[in-house]
Amino acid sequence: MILGENILLALQSLRANPLRSFLTLVGIAVGIGAVLYVVVLGQITEKRIKQRLESLGSNVLLIRPGYSRMRGVRTGQSVVNLKWSDAREIASTSEVITETVPTYTAPGVAEYKDQSWNTRITGTVPSYEWVNNDHPIEGHFFTEEETNQRARVCVLGATVHEKLFGNVSPIGEPLTIKSKRYTVVGLLGAKGESWWNPDDQIFIPLTTAQERLFGVDHLSTILAQMRSAQDHDEALFDIETILRRNHRLRADADNDFRVRRQDLYLATVQETTKEIANFVILIALVSLMVGGIGIANVMLVSVTERIREIGVRRAIGAKKIHVLLQFLIEAMVLGLLGGLLGVAAGLVFIRVMTGEVLILPWDWIGYSFVICAGIGVAAGLYPALRAANRNVIEALRYE
Amino acid sequence: MLIDMQHVEKVYRLGKIDVPALCGVDLQIDANEYVAIMGPSGSGKSTLMNIVGCLDSPTAGRYLLDGEEVSRLSDNRLSEIRSRKIGFVFQTFNLMPRATALRNVELPLIYAGVPAGRRRQLAAEALAQVGLSDRIKHKPSELSGGQRQRVAIARALVTEPALILADEPTGNLDSTTGQEIMEILAAVHRAGNTVILVTHEEQLAAQTGRTIRLRDGRIENQDDTAPSAAPQQAVSPP
Ligand SMILES: Nc1ncnc2c1ncn2[C@@H]1O[C@H](COP(=O)(O)OP(=O)(O)OP(=O)(O)O)[C@@H](O)[C@H]1O
Ligand SMILES: [Mg+2]
Repeated sequence: MILGENILLALQSLRANPLRSFLTLVGIAVGIGAVLYVVVLGQITEKRIKQRLESLGSNVLLIRPGYSRMRGVRTGQSVVNLKWSDAREIASTSEVITETVPTYTAPGVAEYKDQSWNTRITGTVPSYEWVNNDHPIEGHFFTEEETNQRARVCVLGATVHEKLFGNVSPIGEPLTIKSKRYTVVGLLGAKGESWWNPDDQIFIPLTTAQERLFGVDHLSTILAQMRSAQDHDEALFDIETILRRNHRLRADADNDFRVRRQDLYLATVQETTKEIANFVILIALVSLMVGGIGIANVMLVSVTERIREIGVRRAIGAKKIHVLLQFLIEAMVLGLLGGLLGVAAGLVFIRVMTGEVLILPWDWIGYSFVICAGIGVAAGLYPALRAANRNVIEALRYE
Repeated sequence: MLIDMQHVEKVYRLGKIDVPALCGVDLQIDANEYVAIMGPSGSGKSTLMNIVGCLDSPTAGRYLLDGEEVSRLSDNRLSEIRSRKIGFVFQTFNLMPRATALRNVELPLIYAGVPAGRRRQLAAEALAQVGLSDRIKHKPSELSGGQRQRVAIARALVTEPALILADEPTGNLDSTTGQEIMEILAAVHRAGNTVILVTHEEQLAAQTGRTIRLRDGRIENQDDTAPSAAPQQAVSPP
C-alpha cells in the first residue's frame, strides 16, 4: 500500500519538474537503448551468419583475384586474371572439387517503369543456385540454354524486387539495364542483411554480363564446391597448381589470387561483430553510469528542496523507513522511466536500421528494466538515507 | 492524566556552548483539557511542544504520555506514537503544495496503515468537520490562509489522536480568520480532545481552560483562565 502511494508520489514529483526529470532520464535511456540495440543487432547478425553458413555449407571455397604487386608492394587494384576457363579447368581437373561457379559482379542501375534502383549486377551460371543453396521463391533461375544464348533474362534479389516492384510479382516483367530490356524470370527469397546485403543484387547469365553488358572477360570470384570439408588441403593444392600454371606464374612469384574458406571468413566477421558489440556495450555502460550519477545528483537536489516536507511527514507519523522508501522509489521510478525510454528508442532504432520485423528480445528488455531499477536504487540510496536521517525538528524549521 | 512531565530539561549544544531551552519543567495535563502556553520569544514554548509531541526527547527528566514513558524511546516508536496519538497544527500550515486538500488530509492515514478506501472516507469526514466539504479537490495554492489552516487541522484530526498540538496556529492569519481557527479548536476540544495551544495573544489564551506561562525555560505560573469553561463567550472584542 505504501509502495503504490510512493510510486504515485514519485510520478507526481517528477511531473513537477518535467525538464529536469527528462534530462536525467536521457543518460539512462541512451545507455539502455545502445545496449539493447547492440545485443539485438548481434543476435540478428549471428542468426543470419548461421543461416548463411548452413545454406553455404563449410565445403565451399571462394577464389578471388589477388592484388597486383609492383616489386612486392601492393598497388591496391585487383587484377583481371581470373577467367572462366580457370573455373572450368578446376572443376574438370580436380578430383575433390565437384563444381565451380564463376561470377562477375559490377554496379548497375535497374529501371522498371518510372522506378530506378542502384544495385549490383552479378553474372553467373545456373549452378549458382545449387552451390549457394539459393533458390527462387517465384519463377526459376536462368538455364544453361539461356546462358548459351546470352539471353537478356534476370533473377532478382528480394531488395531489388521490393524497391522496383513493391509487392507485385515481377515474373515476366521487363526490366531495363543500360537501356536494354531484360525479362525477369525468377525472384530469390530474402536472406537478410549482415555485413552486406546479398538481397540487393540482380543475377543475369555470365555470358550476357561479360559479353553484352560489361564487355569484360575476367571474373570477380569463383566459388569452388569441395566433395567435403576434409578435402580442404587437397582442394587448395589443386586450385593453386591450376591457377599458377594458367596464369604462368614463375616459381618465385606470389599467387595472384586468394582462396578463402567461407565458413572461416564468416567466423571472422562474427568475431569482428562481437568486438564492435563489446566496445559499444562498454560505451553504453559508461553512459549508464553517467545516468546513475545524474539520478543521484537530481535526488540530492530533490531531497534538499523538500527538507521541510520531510519534517512534516515525519511529524505526522512517517517513520524513517517511509521517507527512505519514498526517495528510493522516486529514484527507481526515474531509472525505470529512463529504461522505458531507452528500450523504446532502442527498438525503434533497430527497426529503422535493420528493417527487421522485430522478434521482441523479451529477455533483454527484462534485464534492461532490472538494470535500470538497480541503477536508480543505487543512485538514490545515499540521498534517500540523508533524507531519512534528517533531524525532524531541524527539518521542520528549515527555511 | 494524559501528560506527566517531571523535571524535564532540554539543552541544545551549539558547538562548544550549551544552550538551555528548558530547565526543569514539571507539567501535568489531564485528558480533555484545553491549555494555552504563553511566554516571550525564546522562552522555550516550541521546545516544550516538540517534546510533548514526541518530535524530540528531553535531555533529562521523565515524560509520561498516556502512562507510557516516552523520553527514552527509539525513533521508530516515537514515529508510531506521533502517528497514533498526536496531531500537529503548525503556524505555517505545512501542507503538501502539490496535493489536494483531500490528499493532504489522507497523508497521516497512509503512514498509519489505513486502507485507501477507508482513508478517503475518513479524510472527507475530517474536512467536513472543519467546514471544507466543498474544497476537497482544491490545492493549497487555491485556498485562503484560513482555509489552509483548516485543512491542516483536519489533517491533525483525521487519525483521531488524543492530543492536538497547535504552535501559534493563528500567527500567520488576520484576527478574524484567527478567531475562526480558535472556534474550530474549541469545537475540537468540546468533542473530547486534549488541545495545547501556543500563542502570544492573551486574548486567545483567555479562550482556553488554563494558561501556562514560560520564562527562560521555566514555568512561571499556571492559572485557570476560564473556570466556567465556555470558550466562545470568553471572546470580548477590545
Ligand atoms: N535547534 C536548536 N539549536 C540550538 N538552540 C535552539 C534550537 N531550538 C531552539 N533553540 C534555543 O532554545 C531556546 C528556546 O527556543 P524555542 O524555539 O523553544 O522558543 P519559543 O518560545 O518557541 O520562541 P518563539 O516564540 O520565538 O517561537 C531559544 O533560546 C533558542 O535559541
Ligand atoms: Mg516557537
